[in-house]
Amino acid sequence: MIDMMQVARREIKMGFRNPWAYSFLILFCTFSLSLLIINSQNIVEGYSGITGSMLSLILYLLPLMTLFLGSFSLTSEKEEGSWQLLSTYPMGTMSFIVGKYVGLSIVLLTIVAFGYGLMGFLSGFLGTSFDSTTYFLFLVFSCGLVMLFLTVALFIGSLSKNRWQALTISVSIWFFAIIGWPTILISVLGLLPYLWIKPLLVALTFINPAELVRLFVVIKLGGGSILGPEYFQWVEWIQKPSGSLLFAAVCLFWIVGSIIIVYWIWERGRSRG
Amino acid sequence: MATFGSPIDGSATRMTIDMKYYRRYILHIVAFLILFNVAFITPVFSIKTFASSSSKEPMISLQEIIDQSSSGASIVLDSGTYEGPVIINKKLSIRGDGSVTLLNNTQESAIAIHSNGVTLQGINIQHNTDGESTAIEVTADEVTLDNLRIHTRGYGIKLRDANRGIIQNNDIKWFIPKGAGAGNRGNGIDLYNSHDNQIEYNEISYLRDGIYLENSRNTVVNENKLFHLRYGIHCMYVDGSHLTDNEGEYNMTGAMVMGVTNVVVSDNSFRKQSENVHAQGILLYDVHKSSIERNVVEGNRVGIYMEGSSKNQLRDNAVLRNFIGIQLMGAEGNQFQSNAFIANVIEAEAIDSKDNEMKGNYWDSFQGLDLNQDGISDIPYVINPFYQNLISRNSAYQLFFQSPGMTFLSDMFTSGSEHWSADSSPLMKLNTTTPMETAEKDGTVMVTSWMLLFVSIIIIIYMGVLRS
Repeated sequence: MIDMMQVARREIKMGFRNPWAYSFLILFCTFSLSLLIINSQNIVEGYSGITGSMLSLILYLLPLMTLFLGSFSLTSEKEEGSWQLLSTYPMGTMSFIVGKYVGLSIVLLTIVAFGYGLMGFLSGFLGTSFDSTTYFLFLVFSCGLVMLFLTVALFIGSLSKNRWQALTISVSIWFFAIIGWPTILISVLGLLPYLWIKPLLVALTFINPAELVRLFVVIKLGGGSILGPEYFQWVEWIQKPSGSLLFAAVCLFWIVGSIIIVYWIWERGRSRG
Repeated sequence: MATFGSPIDGSATRMTIDMKYYRRYILHIVAFLILFNVAFITPVFSIKTFASSSSKEPMISLQEIIDQSSSGASIVLDSGTYEGPVIINKKLSIRGDGSVTLLNNTQESAIAIHSNGVTLQGINIQHNTDGESTAIEVTADEVTLDNLRIHTRGYGIKLRDANRGIIQNNDIKWFIPKGAGAGNRGNGIDLYNSHDNQIEYNEISYLRDGIYLENSRNTVVNENKLFHLRYGIHCMYVDGSHLTDNEGEYNMTGAMVMGVTNVVVSDNSFRKQSENVHAQGILLYDVHKSSIERNVVEGNRVGIYMEGSSKNQLRDNAVLRNFIGIQLMGAEGNQFQSNAFIANVIEAEAIDSKDNEMKGNYWDSFQGLDLNQDGISDIPYVINPFYQNLISRNSAYQLFFQSPGMTFLSDMFTSGSEHWSADSSPLMKLNTTTPMETAEKDGTVMVTSWMLLFVSIIIIIYMGVLRS
C-alpha cells in the first residue's frame, strides 16, 4: 500500500512536470471555451446541438490525451531504465501498476477539473446558462472517458517497446475506437445474418469505452428516445438511478480487469529479466 | 263515533272537526311511511354507492330541475353536489358559479345534450366510469360548453354529428390529480363528423389525446393548452381546419395531422416531446396544400416530421434544440422558407423527398460562404441522407446516432448529392430573435466550478511547481 502511494506520488510529480500535460490542458481549455463562446446565446441543457457538439469534442480530445500521457508514462519507465531499477527493490508489480494508474488518473482528472472549472467560471461572464445536471453529467462523462481510456493506455504502454511504438498504437486505437468504429462495425456486421446485428452491436459497445460512455451520457441527458424502439428497455434501465450503478459497475469491471491483465504482462516481463 | 255524541249541539260539531283532523293525521302518517319506504328502504344499495364518493350530502337531481324547466329557460344552479346522468333535450342554458358539482357513477354520459342551442357554464363534472363513456356527449348543433371543469375516467367531451358548437375555457383532466394510475384513458375533446366547431382556451392534461378530430371540417382549434397526453391534437380528415396558438408540452406528439388538405397549423408551440421513441413536435402525414407557419418546436425528439405530404408551405417556423430538427420521408413539392433551425443535434434528414423548394432558411451549424455580401450563402445547404438510409435498412444502427464516427462516415458518402434535398439559398445570419426558452441562472455550477478550479490549481502547484 505504501509502495503504491509512493509510485502514485512520484507519478503525479512527474505528470505535472511534463510539458505534455500542460499542452493538453491548454488545448482542452481552448476548445471548450471556444464552444462556449459560439453557443453563448443558447442554454446548455439536455441533449441538443450544443451538448451534442460538446460530446463530440470531448470524445475526440480526451481519449487521445489519455492514451498519449498514459502510454508514454509506462514506456518511459522502460526506456529510461527506472523499471529495471525498481525491479531490484522488494516492491510488488501490482503496487507499481496500481500506483501508476492512480497517479496518472489524478493527473488527468486534475486537467479535466481545471478545464471544467474554467468553463463553468467563464460561462457566468459569457452569459451562457449552464444547467447544473448537464454540467455534472459532462464532468462524469469526461472522468469516465479518462478512467476507461487510461486502462487502454496502460495496455499500450505495456506492449510497446518505446515511445514511438506507443504513439503509433495510441493513434491507431484512437482512430479505431472513435472515428472508424461505426464504419468498421457496419461493414463487418453487414456480412452477418440480420438478427445477429443488434445483439452483436450491444456486446461490442461494451468493449468500446468511447461508445459506452457516450451512450450513457446521451441517455442520461434525456436523449434516449433517439436510439429508437430497439433499445427502449436499455434506455429505461439506464434512466433509473440503478442504471448509474450498473454503469459504474461496468466501468469498475473494465478497470479492474485491465489492471489484472496489465499486471500479468509486467509480471511476466519481470520474471524474464 | 255517534256514541260519543253529547247533548250540546256545539260540542257535536267540534267533535266532527276533531275527527277530520284525526283522519288527516293518519293520512299524513301513511304518506310519511310510504315516502320513507321510497326514499330510504328501497334504494339502500344506490345510496351506499353514492355515499362513498359524495361525503354523505344529499344529492340534488339535476334531471328533475331540467324536466321542470321549459324550453328556452335559463337555469342558475345553487352550489352543491348534483346527481347525474342527465339528458338535456330542450334548449336550455344551465349555469353554475364554479361551486356546482355534477357527479356521475353510471355508464351513461354525465350530461347528454340532444337539443340545439344548449349552453353549459361553470359546472364541475366528476365522471367516474371508464371505457368509452364520457362526461359530456353532444349530438346537437350550436351548443356552448364554457368554463367546465371535468375530471373523467373515460372521455371528456364527445361531439357526434354536432356542428357550429363552441367549446371554450374548459379544464379537462384525468380523474387522478397527478395522472398516475393505469387504465384506459379517453380523449379530452373528441369530435366525429362534427363541422365548424370552435375549440378555444381549453386546458387538457393526462388523458389519451387532448383534442381528437375525425371527419370534422372547418374546426378552429385555438389557444388550447395540452400537457402530458398521448397526442396533443390528433386530427384526421379535417379539411379547412385551423390549428392556431396552441401550446403543448410533455406529450408523445404535439400535433398529429393526418389525411388533410387546406389546413392551417400556425403559431403553435410544442415543447419537450422527447421521452417516447416515437415522439415529435408536429407530425404531418398525408397532408396537402396546407400551411404550417410560425410554429415553435423546441426540445422534441423530432421537431417536424413530414411523410407522404405534398404542396405544403412551411414558413417562419422556429425549430430549436430538437434531436432531429426536421425529418422528411417521401415529402414532395413542398416549400420551406425562412425557417430557423437552431441547436438541433441533427438539423434535417430527408429521404425519397424530391422537388421540395427550400429557400432562405437559417441552419445554425452550416458554414456558408457569402461572396456578394447579400446575407445569403452562395453555396447550398444539402441534407445528407446517409444515416437515415442506414437506419431504415436496420434500425439497430440507431445506436450510432451522432456518434463522431458516424458523422465522419456520412461526410464521406457524397455521391449522388445532386439528388439530395438542399436549401439553395440558406441565410448567413438570423435576423429575428427566436423564442428560445431561457433557464434561470444556476448557482451550483458557479460554486462547483470555483471549487474545481481551486482544487486543481492547488494540486498543480503543490505537486508540480513546488520542489520538495
